[in-house]
Amino acid sequence: MRKIGLTSRILVLVAAVAMVSAYFYPIWQIKLWAPQYPEGIGMQIWIDRLTGDLASINKMNFYIGMAEIDEAMFPEFDYLKYIIGFIMAVGIVAGIAGRRMLMNIFLGLLVLLGIGALVDMYLWGYDYGHNLDPTAAIKIPGQSYQPPLIGYEQLLNFLAYSGPDTAGWILSGSALLVFVAILIEYGVFRRLFKRKKS
Amino acid sequence: MKWILIVFSFAITVIIIACGGDTQTDERTTDAKDMGVEQREPDPRGIGEVTNVDLTDPLDEDMIRRGRQISDVKCASCHHYDTEERLVGPGYLNVTNRRSPEWIMNMITNVDVMLDKDPVAQKMLEECLVRMPDQNISLEEARELLEFMRYNDEKHAGERDGGVL
Amino acid sequence: MTKSLMFIGSAIFFMIALYSCRPPAPGAAATGDAASRVYVPPGEHDEFYNIVSGGFNGQISVVGLPSGRTFKIIPVFSVNPENGYGFSEETKPMLNTTHGFIPWDDLHHIAISTTDGVHDARWAFANANNTPRVARLDLTTFNTVEILEIPNSAGNHSSPFITENTEYVVAGTRFSVPFGEEEEDVDVPIETYKENFRGAITFISVDPDDGEMDIAFQIDAPPFNYDLARGGKGISGDWFFFSCYNTEMAHTLLEVNASQHDKDYIMAINWRKAEQYVREGRAETVRARYAHNKMDKATHMASSEIKEDVLMLDPTEFEDIIYFIPCPKSPHGVDVSHDGKYIVGSGKLAALIPVFSFEKMIEAIENEDFEGDINGLPILNYESVLHGEVERPGLGPLHTEFDGRGNAFTTMFVSSEVVMWDIETLEIIDRAPTYYSVGHLMIPGGCTAEPHGKYLVAYNKITKDRFLPTGPELCHSAQLFDISNGRLELLLDFPTIGEPHYAEAFPAELIKDKQVRFYDINENQHPYVTRGPGQARVERETEDRVRVYMTSIRSHFRPDNIEGIFVGDTVYFHVTNLEQEWDLPHGFAIKGANNAEILIMPGETLTLKWIPDRVGIWPFYCTDFCSALHQEMSGYVRVSPRGADVPLTYSTGGR
Repeated sequence: MRKIGLTSRILVLVAAVAMVSAYFYPIWQIKLWAPQYPEGIGMQIWIDRLTGDLASINKMNFYIGMAEIDEAMFPEFDYLKYIIGFIMAVGIVAGIAGRRMLMNIFLGLLVLLGIGALVDMYLWGYDYGHNLDPTAAIKIPGQSYQPPLIGYEQLLNFLAYSGPDTAGWILSGSALLVFVAILIEYGVFRRLFKRKKS
Repeated sequence: MKWILIVFSFAITVIIIACGGDTQTDERTTDAKDMGVEQREPDPRGIGEVTNVDLTDPLDEDMIRRGRQISDVKCASCHHYDTEERLVGPGYLNVTNRRSPEWIMNMITNVDVMLDKDPVAQKMLEECLVRMPDQNISLEEARELLEFMRYNDEKHAGERDGGVL
Repeated sequence: MTKSLMFIGSAIFFMIALYSCRPPAPGAAATGDAASRVYVPPGEHDEFYNIVSGGFNGQISVVGLPSGRTFKIIPVFSVNPENGYGFSEETKPMLNTTHGFIPWDDLHHIAISTTDGVHDARWAFANANNTPRVARLDLTTFNTVEILEIPNSAGNHSSPFITENTEYVVAGTRFSVPFGEEEEDVDVPIETYKENFRGAITFISVDPDDGEMDIAFQIDAPPFNYDLARGGKGISGDWFFFSCYNTEMAHTLLEVNASQHDKDYIMAINWRKAEQYVREGRAETVRARYAHNKMDKATHMASSEIKEDVLMLDPTEFEDIIYFIPCPKSPHGVDVSHDGKYIVGSGKLAALIPVFSFEKMIEAIENEDFEGDINGLPILNYESVLHGEVERPGLGPLHTEFDGRGNAFTTMFVSSEVVMWDIETLEIIDRAPTYYSVGHLMIPGGCTAEPHGKYLVAYNKITKDRFLPTGPELCHSAQLFDISNGRLELLLDFPTIGEPHYAEAFPAELIKDKQVRFYDINENQHPYVTRGPGQARVERETEDRVRVYMTSIRSHFRPDNIEGIFVGDTVYFHVTNLEQEWDLPHGFAIKGANNAEILIMPGETLTLKWIPDRVGIWPFYCTDFCSALHQEMSGYVRVSPRGADVPLTYSTGGR
């Protein structure tokens, strides 16, 4: 088992500890703008709950037959806090133990978490945007309302944005820090530095 | 040297034209000032359409009757008949002895101009403080009112038409 | 490894970019010289009168265009303490109904009278949505002069639209209800909607000389919701078009259950034929009580009469009165182009705007090109009547007006914009955002045969951040566009009174020189007029009823000292304004009056009822700053205990 250097250990520890923000800040956000809502209305996804202008969003979506968003739609809220807690623990152990393998596993888990979350979001968004109530007041042939996975999209009169919120950005930052630590440990920077010197 | 002169004279022309515009504005402001007091020899006939009234003798009973009707409805709120004493405006008594018939009829039919420009009317406004309302009385009706005032003076003052020019 | 660095760098860049790449919001700015285009210099007049419904305030606003300045609020279905409308004894009967006195209603739509489809602006008509009524306003006095209750109706929404020569004003019910002469006709389970509910369409005749209204006949139409209506013009002048939603005939949770049909209908009524059948005696006289209230010009007093029956026409007995045009989807507005050739249905839940051709409709009727029927009333084939569809116009189309140059303008509620399109080619020419959620729109003369296609006003439901905020309740707003250059140019935002729905506008020249400036005191036939100060007096009419015959002129009332009034007396102050000059009203108010003030125009008589409830001296005064001595224009009433030894006396200035 290879040990890792002090810098990398600190990076890994900082990354792991920073993940605690997921319990205190929203991870993901969805925002909508329309002519009537120049200031926008939004929804924040936390580790275990939703906040924001859910009532307004649901009221508007009702006309086009979209399901009502509520926390019961997201079974992830039941176990996400444990998953993130587990990954965090792995990171802390990796930082303290200073094992390279553990550090690699930590990054792997973080990346898996990210990919898993995006896939999960996509599947939910697809269902949410396509599974419309056939008795809806406004029906537009061929029109679906799947929110963008990440970035902006125009849905009828609404401009929709989907992207990470505070904790989401911090989690990405954690992954980045671990990635940098791995680059250090595999000597990438050293080699780069050498080449420049010669 | 010549072209400097040309430019110079051109510039002056421009200034004159520009000033011309200003003069127009000035005229308008002067107009507005005219709305106020104007110092001029007062015309005892007042200001308005009435320049000459042919008075009849004896008095015309029909005109008196109609004049009284108009007066009762439109004038009596502010004018006593049998005294010079002020109610809101001055009483009718002796009005035909103080003022010319033309002045009286102009005051009735051209109130706003009279109150703005006639010095006698203006002096009374200063005393009474209430502008006499334009009661929308026609020239014919004003003549009937005048006849009633002549009758009123004859009855209460014993004489009438002392103000005839 | 440079690659990795570049990857990290680009990842960070991507994240930043994600946040900053938001597409720009639609521009909210007016064009540069907009201010000068709406500026009416001091002392000059606006080009158009804009008569604007007030919605839930039950009033009408009179606005000037292009300045957007409000000149007057006219009380119509609502009491107005400002001038005593609905409080003075003279005006109380105007608000009488078969339900008694109703001090409020919801006024949605305006119709300005026309001759040959062109504004003559003699009268304005207005609807009461809640307790169905139609009012007529005289545009020489800007007063409400007549109100007619509509029986058998509930939710008088598709009203008061008119035929091109103002022969009729229509009143279609938005809520179908059961009606009949007996209690068991109307006391029915709600779930028997389809069998028992009926949709009455009322045609109100208008006297061509004095404008007096009366119910000419009603048509017993299917129990749909009749939302809006328009009379035909020119070639379509004999027809009237009504938009129908809830053709599902739902009676609960309409927002879902009345939105199921892909197509509802536009109901076309041949009113000329209907009128003819009524004249031939083929309508049935049915008992239906309704109030008819009129303001008498000579006495300045309103009277209310309860009428007992109407003529009811059963359209299923005739083959050629009613035809249905399928129209997607829950149509709200139905509007007829200035030449009468096209009928535009605005399906508020539809993703397109269908435009129907009147000529094709006649052809389809002649060819019996039907796709079904409703109780025997033919449904025309959609494709056969269709001129074409405007594709992807926006979301939530509501209302359409015309500029007379071949363009139509439709409001889009959901996407909050006005869309300009070509009637012939159905192509979209321009669109402009509205702030926010536009309902009706209006072009001066835009619903007539002669539009003045210079301005367009959009009436918005939501203003939100557009004006200085005023707590939770915000003003509604209007937005003025210049459309004379073949596009929509925003010139002005201005707040409105109440909740404007429909409005109309016409050139000021039509009526501005016909305005009544004051009432001739010599023609005042009021039964309690005081014609001159000599007649001013106080009379005890009965044990506890007193009439004060009072005059007002700058700057006193006569009489202004009154004694000998007892607690509990009903005192009527009949105040006659003796002024004969324009813009010289006097007000009258007395302490403790539990109604309002009265504002008496020159030459007019108005009456305030007052019942003193305790002993004391009660001042009254003029409420309209009339002159330099306005503050002096006041008086006193002495109120004594009932039966006290105080004789009835009155005086002014000791006389």
